[in-house]
Amino acid sequence: MEHFDYLFAAYTIIFVVIFAYVVFIWRRQARLETEIRAMEERLKSLKTAPPSAGRAKSAAEN
Amino acid sequence: MGAFAAILRKDLRLEIRSGQSTIALFALSLLIMVVLVFALNPQPVDRARDAAAALWVALVFAGMLGATRSMIAENENGCMRALTLSPIDPGALYGAKLAASFAFMAIVEVAAVVLITLFFNLDFGGDLVRLAPSLMLGTLGFAALATLLAAISSRTRAGDLLLPILAIPLFIPAIIAGVKASEAALSGFPLAAATQWLGILVAFDVLFVTLGALLFEHVIRED
Amino acid sequence: MTTLILMVVSLYGVFEWVPTEEDQGIVQRIFYFHVPCAWVAFAAFGIVAIAGMFYLWLKDQIWDDLGYAAAEIGMVFCTLVLITGSLWAKPIWGTWWTWDSRLTTTFILWLLYGGYLMLRAMADDTPQVARFGAVIGIFAALDVPVVVLSVRLWRTIHPAVLITRTGEHGLQDMRMVVTLLVSLTAFTALFGWLLMLRFQQLRSRSRLSTIRRDVALIEAAAGDY
Repeated sequence: MEHFDYLFAAYTIIFVVIFAYVVFIWRRQARLETEIRAMEERLKSLKTAPPSAGRAKSAAEN
Repeated sequence: MGAFAAILRKDLRLEIRSGQSTIALFALSLLIMVVLVFALNPQPVDRARDAAAALWVALVFAGMLGATRSMIAENENGCMRALTLSPIDPGALYGAKLAASFAFMAIVEVAAVVLITLFFNLDFGGDLVRLAPSLMLGTLGFAALATLLAAISSRTRAGDLLLPILAIPLFIPAIIAGVKASEAALSGFPLAAATQWLGILVAFDVLFVTLGALLFEHVIRED
Repeated sequence: MTTLILMVVSLYGVFEWVPTEEDQGIVQRIFYFHVPCAWVAFAAFGIVAIAGMFYLWLKDQIWDDLGYAAAEIGMVFCTLVLITGSLWAKPIWGTWWTWDSRLTTTFILWLLYGGYLMLRAMADDTPQVARFGAVIGIFAALDVPVVVLSVRLWRTIHPAVLITRTGEHGLQDMRMVVTLLVSLTAFTALFGWLLMLRFQQLRSRSRLSTIRRDVALIEAAAGDY
């Protein structure tokens, strides 16, 4: 089979490149999820610390 | 029409008063030409081809630098923001900037043509006149692209690197057609011989001037 | 999942089932990957342009996210087109590259979207930059029809197999047609999957940005008192 190495190389490269892109997405996802968790923490802490927000609201109303 | 003329006059007057950019651009074209002469080492038989090549290389690089500098200057002194906030039709604003850009590039081009005649041993005659259409069309096309893209690149980090990256691939069809047409002119062929190439240049110009005018407002808007 | 099955089936088709082309030998089978990659790239870049237009018109971030995802994936497949094409060209034409119209216009396409991605990477994620991206995406997509038609408009040594220059069909054996169609379907499924993946990720990121901004505002307001 002449030139088999070219066919093989083409196929392999396709596979490698697509795989690399999927890995790229995957790693971004991990980072994204860390940030989402951090944001959820902040939201939680905001909800459990209402006093200052409440004071601000009533101060604005007066 | 009033806005167009006013902005155009402002840009032209600014440049004529300071004269810095145009002189610097001319110096740059000269130096690019020098590099190309030594790099190409033209033989008499290749004169037309090499001269055309040098001319277009100088067009692209000098044009790019000119466009970036003028946009940066506008952004720096807040002029662009003022223009954006005013009720000027963005298409007219684009047209004015394009016309100013074209005017400066054209002046530098004329000087560059004189230079190539000297460096590449051409004759001052009909050939140079026949060079005008392809060169002017190319300059217009490049100015159209650069005016729009410089507005983009000047607002990003490393903007001066970004402009060539964005502009050159878009400009390649014009380069291909333009160099062929210029080479034909410098080789002594009548204009009719280059109609195909000139046609491509005209189509290119129409396309990108129209697109530029339509899309300019999206590019200068800030929020 | 379907993607996976389709990909496996098409692989089998390409390597086992389809008959060998006479003149070119086994290397011709690259065609069954090369062509779908090209169509996917064109489709992706078309999506970038359309998403760009919707973004400029409707100004909703979702269109920008779609366009950006499509541009990335289009770039991946455009790169594969150039690489697989080169690997085919070396044994068949004797050279890795030539400046014929199909190759040149495809290379320009690759450069254009490379520029788009560099712009997005080097600039911050503001609506202004998204608008820039939309404009560039629209400009760059103008090259796609040029690439597709290049084989017909200019003399080129690139094979015109699917519709030959005389207007007929270039694939002799029905099995070749079937294999190509299967491969095309497989790659389209792959494209759809990747696009959904990346698009959803960019959506999440955009939403996260908005939330982060709102939270910061709330925290600042609460902190003032």
